[in-house]
Formats: sequence, C-alpha cells, structure tokens
Amino acid sequence: MRFRDLLTMSLNNLRRRKLRTVLTVLGVVIGTASIVVMVSLGIGLKELNMEQLSSWVSLTEVTVRQNYSMDGNGADEDSYITDEAIKKFSRLDHVVSVSPTLRLSAIVKQGPYICEYVNIQGVSQETLAQIPLAEGGHLPDPDSGQMELIFGSKVAMDFMNNKTKKGYWETGEIPELDMSQPFFVIFDQNAYYNSMYPSGDTSVKPPKKYMIPAAGVEEGGPEDYSRYCYSIYVNVEQLKDQLRKVFKKNPIPGQPTNKKGKPYSYFIYDNASVQVDDMDNVKEVQQAINEMGYQADSMIEGIENQQKQANMIQAVLGGIGAVSLFVAAIGIANTMMMSIYERTKEIGVMKVLGCDMGSIRNMFLVESGFIGLVGGLAGIGLSYGISYLINNIQGIGQTMSGMDGDISRIPVWLVGLAISFAIVVGMGAGFMPAMRAMQLSPLAAIRNE
Amino acid sequence: MTSQTEQKTRAPMIRVSNLYKIYCVGDTRVRALNGVSFEIYKGEFCAIVGTSGSGKSTLLNMLAGLEKPTRGEIVIAGKHIEKLSEKELVAFRREKVGFIFQSYNLLNTMNAVENVAMPLSFRGMAKKERIARAQKYLKLVGVGDQAKHMPNQMSGGQQQRVGIARALVVNPRIIFADEPTGNLDSKTTMEVMHLMQKIVREQQQTLVMVTHDNNLASYADRQIRIIDGKIVEIIENEPQDQAAQEE
Repeated sequence: MRFRDLLTMSLNNLRRRKLRTVLTVLGVVIGTASIVVMVSLGIGLKELNMEQLSSWVSLTEVTVRQNYSMDGNGADEDSYITDEAIKKFSRLDHVVSVSPTLRLSAIVKQGPYICEYVNIQGVSQETLAQIPLAEGGHLPDPDSGQMELIFGSKVAMDFMNNKTKKGYWETGEIPELDMSQPFFVIFDQNAYYNSMYPSGDTSVKPPKKYMIPAAGVEEGGPEDYSRYCYSIYVNVEQLKDQLRKVFKKNPIPGQPTNKKGKPYSYFIYDNASVQVDDMDNVKEVQQAINEMGYQADSMIEGIENQQKQANMIQAVLGGIGAVSLFVAAIGIANTMMMSIYERTKEIGVMKVLGCDMGSIRNMFLVESGFIGLVGGLAGIGLSYGISYLINNIQGIGQTMSGMDGDISRIPVWLVGLAISFAIVVGMGAGFMPAMRAMQLSPLAAIRNE
Repeated sequence: MTSQTEQKTRAPMIRVSNLYKIYCVGDTRVRALNGVSFEIYKGEFCAIVGTSGSGKSTLLNMLAGLEKPTRGEIVIAGKHIEKLSEKELVAFRREKVGFIFQSYNLLNTMNAVENVAMPLSFRGMAKKERIARAQKYLKLVGVGDQAKHMPNQMSGGQQQRVGIARALVVNPRIIFADEPTGNLDSKTTMEVMHLMQKIVREQQQTLVMVTHDNNLASYADRQIRIIDGKIVEIIENEPQDQAAQEE
C-alpha cells in the first residue's frame, strides 16, 4: 500500500470521530506544553545564571600569575610575567588575546576630596574597551602621550573630604567627583606618608603630584557590582611610561628586585588574563600554561559545578512535565483501542480483501503518530503563549529567580525535540493497539450480524 | 453424461480432497466438515447449499484461506493453500480472490468508487488508475451513476452491486460469495443473481456461492449439497433453467 493512501485512510478515520480526536490531541497539547514550559524555565534559569556570572567574571578567561616556589623564597624568577611570557601565551592554540595587568596603589585627589589608597590597574587597550562607560565617557587614546583614567563605578565611594575627614561610609553621600576636571595622582606613596607623618626630625619633602585627566566612569550605581567597579583603569603602556617618568632609575614600588636589590630593566606584571575562544577550551589552555611553569586559574571548575546543578534542575523540571505527557500517551492508547473495537469489522474486511497486515498496523501507527504531531505542534504554540505570559507578567520571573531577564526561554532545538518526542510518544502509545489490529481475525468480518 | 466428461477434461480451478474441520467445544468435538472432496472448474458458477450449521460457511472460509483445515488438501490454481502462512494467505487473496459479503461491508468513510478502488490500493496501484478502473466496473454492474454516493445513501441492492464491482475490480481468478442476497428483497435478489450469472458468462469468472436457499442455488451451473459436514449430492443444473440462456 502506498504511503499516501495509508495517510488518506488514517486521516479519514480521525476525521470521522472529530470530538474524540480533538480531546485526545488536547491531552498531548497539554503534555507537550508542560514539558516545554518546564524545560524552558530550566534553560532560562541556567542562562540567567550564566549571564549574571559573566557580568562579574569573564567565563573564557584564564588568569596567569607567577609561580611561588615551594621553598618559600618568594616568586620563582622564571615565572615572572613579562612581555616575553605574554607573547608565549598568545601563541597557544585557542588563545584570542592576552592582556597583562600592572597593578599599583596610589593617592588620588580632586578638589576637597582625596583617596589615600586607590588601586590603579594598567591593562591592555582591548580590556579597556570592554569596560561599559556611563554617558559622557570616552575611551582613552592609546597613542597620545597623556594617560587617562577610567573610574570603576564604586571608586568614588572610597574618597573622603580632606577637611572633615569624612567619606561616604560616614555621611552616606557619594563624593561628587568632576570627571571633566583632571585629578592629581601621587604614585610614590612612601614619600607621601613620610612627608605627612615625619618620623624623627628628618623631614621629607612631599612627592610630586601628577595631573591626569579622567576619560570616564564605568556604568552602574552604588548597588551594582561588576568586576571593574573597585579600581581605576588605564592603558598599561601609558602607565609604564608614566612610572618610568615618575621613578626614573629608582625601584618602582611593587616591582620585584633581583638578588642584589636592584630593579629589573623591564616591567613584571602582576598577572595576565588570557582570553580563550570558547568555554570548552578553557581547561586545555589553563593546563598548557600551568605546564609552562605559571600559575593559571579560571572559573571553569566552579562553572562546571554550577552547570551540573542547573542541568539537574532542568532534568527534574522536564520530568515533572513528562508526567503529563505520559498521561496523554495513555489517552492515545485508550483512544486507539476504542477505535479498534469500533472498526473490528472494517479491519476484517480489509484483511479479507487482501490488505497487508503491515499496512493495517501502519495505518494505526500513522493515526496515533498524527495525533502526536498535531498535539506537539499545538503544544509548542501553547508553550510560546505561556512563556510570553511568564516573561511579561511583572514579578513572576523576579520571584522565581531573583534576577532580571526572560526566565522562560524556548530554543529552537527544544521545539524540534518536543515535536519529535510527541510523535514518538504518539506512535509508542499506538503500537500495542496497532499490533492488536494487525492480529485481528478476518473471520470477524464475514460473520453475519 | 457428456457434459460430465467434458468438465473432467477441463483443469480444475479448485480441488478439495478429504477436508476435515473439527472444533473442540469443551470436551466435545464438533465435526464441522467431515471428509469433503470435490472439484470446481474454471468459468463455473457453483453453489454450495446447506442449512444453517451444515458446515457450508466453514467450507467457504477455508477455501478463502480465512480458516485452517484440521486435515485435508485445498488446491486453488495449483497452489496448496492449507500450507500458506497468514501473510501468504493475505497476498493470495489480494492477487487471486474476490469476495462478496452478505452485509456488503462497504466502508462508510468512502464513496462507492473509492470502495471499489480500495482493493487495488492494497496492490499499490496509483489513485488515478484505480479510480478509472473502479468506474468501469461500477458501470458494468449498473451503478455507474452512483459513483460519488456514500454507502448510506444507497439501497441494499445498489450497495451489493458496488460490492460485486469491488470483487470484480481486482480481476480475480475466483470469486467467493457468502449469502450475497441474504439481506435483499426478492426482486432485488433476482436482479443480483442475474447480474452474477451474466458476469460469470461474460468475464469467464469462477464463482463459488454459499446459500441456504435451494431456489437461489438453481441459478448456478452446479449445486453441492452439504448436510452435517458431508456432501450428500452434486447436482448439474439443466442449462434451460438458466435465465442467462436468453441471450
């Protein structure tokens, strides 16, 4: 029997009992929708988590530090992170970019405000470009001779009024720093403290202040946390030039010295962040760098754990949804059994007239599969509706996840999977009835009523 | 006597020898067929006549491969059908056998022409081709104008004509009819019987009809009378009795 004829016969049979077909399909609709919505919630939770995490830390980043040797003699000289090392890292497979970080603390002043301990981080231009700036800010020009500062969103909270000696933590007011005006930066903290609080009678003259303009502030209010919020960021090359200008031949604070106590002729970075092309390759890169004798860390283990947990939640939610599809499957089996009892005579006639047993079985499988298909399609439609409601009724997503963003997400693969699953369930439920129909005795047909 | 020898020279379409069918009902064994042997020839209209419970229906079921004999042989067109598996029996019916039912057994979801075309769809014939062929046979049985009617819009006689067309459309080697006029009034019965007679003549078909009615059996070329599972009499009908003789 041709498949088209089979299909026509099956569909005619379904049409004959419209109400029953619709009710059975409805079961599948609800079953499919409950699976899809449940899984979409799981996916939404997982993705929200990842999104939040990636706003705090970069998920594809490997942080490299120098290795501290076991014998307690401080840093292992071979593992100093120099420009040379940076080049080595960038030659590794899957590495997109390598950005060194040169960190130091300094004193920053503007008008009445002062901060005696600010973290200044020199980073690559690419990293600077990733910091989301509040309105009015601009990216510093790496080629100009003038270094410019980008403030983390919470840096201003660390400033205090130099006269009252009170800052945000005492007054609750955030100091109003003027980003259009330059800041005074003192790089030599030792000299500053020695001049402020002279010990004995040796008076030290205060160190030189450098006037450095601000390029902008990171986006975000006092409640928002980000990975950039506590530091001032500058271009690392400009920072190196600046430090050479400030300290000349003198040792730069924070930079290691050789065994004779002399500074090195090159800069040694605090760490390097290696950007990897994909999360899946992070582990590999991390291992490669570790083998080169450096200390490489990434978030990958923590993320993997979290993902495992999220997958489990998703599986549990999907399982809850699957229960109702299972009930729908019983409904399909029931409908098909009824249909066989009603059509015993008809099936018999077909067998007497030479219809293959396989064709009869297939006819029933097509019928139940079709119920699954229609139910699956309508179920997907319903899921999109429910998903839209969940995402758009204020508060539902917030209460469930405590995060902003769509909590129910239906990716394309889920749509495909749900429809095929509905068809498979339909045919599975129809299998036993179909086998029974196939084995019905043709004698029943010619028995006279 | 001459006709007897003439038939012997023809190759038998159906040869039944020593056929037994025994049902076990509880502890008692019921012999539905108790050693039946006969032959039916090509182009013959043969009636199997018997009262209810005589075993005539059982015999027909076994000839059509719907029931397995307990013992004995059935050879149809050179094939031992008692040895076929169920799958082979289905194929055998599809290729070689037409069936006319007492209660017509048309599918209510299909109109007349689709009902007639249905057995052809089991052979995998394309829709256009089989509908054309079904039309031709509907015309042949005299209900060509009812092609689009659903079974419940037709009278019993019309339905049975559609049923006959359905049996003929596959161009079978042999047609089985089980009380084909059992549900019809006497006038329609006459019409249907004449139609079947005509078809056997014109199409050179072999027709085996089961009936309890002696009157109807007289339309056949030959009657095989069965009582209690045994053949008691085989009657050659006189050609003069037959209405088809008029042509």
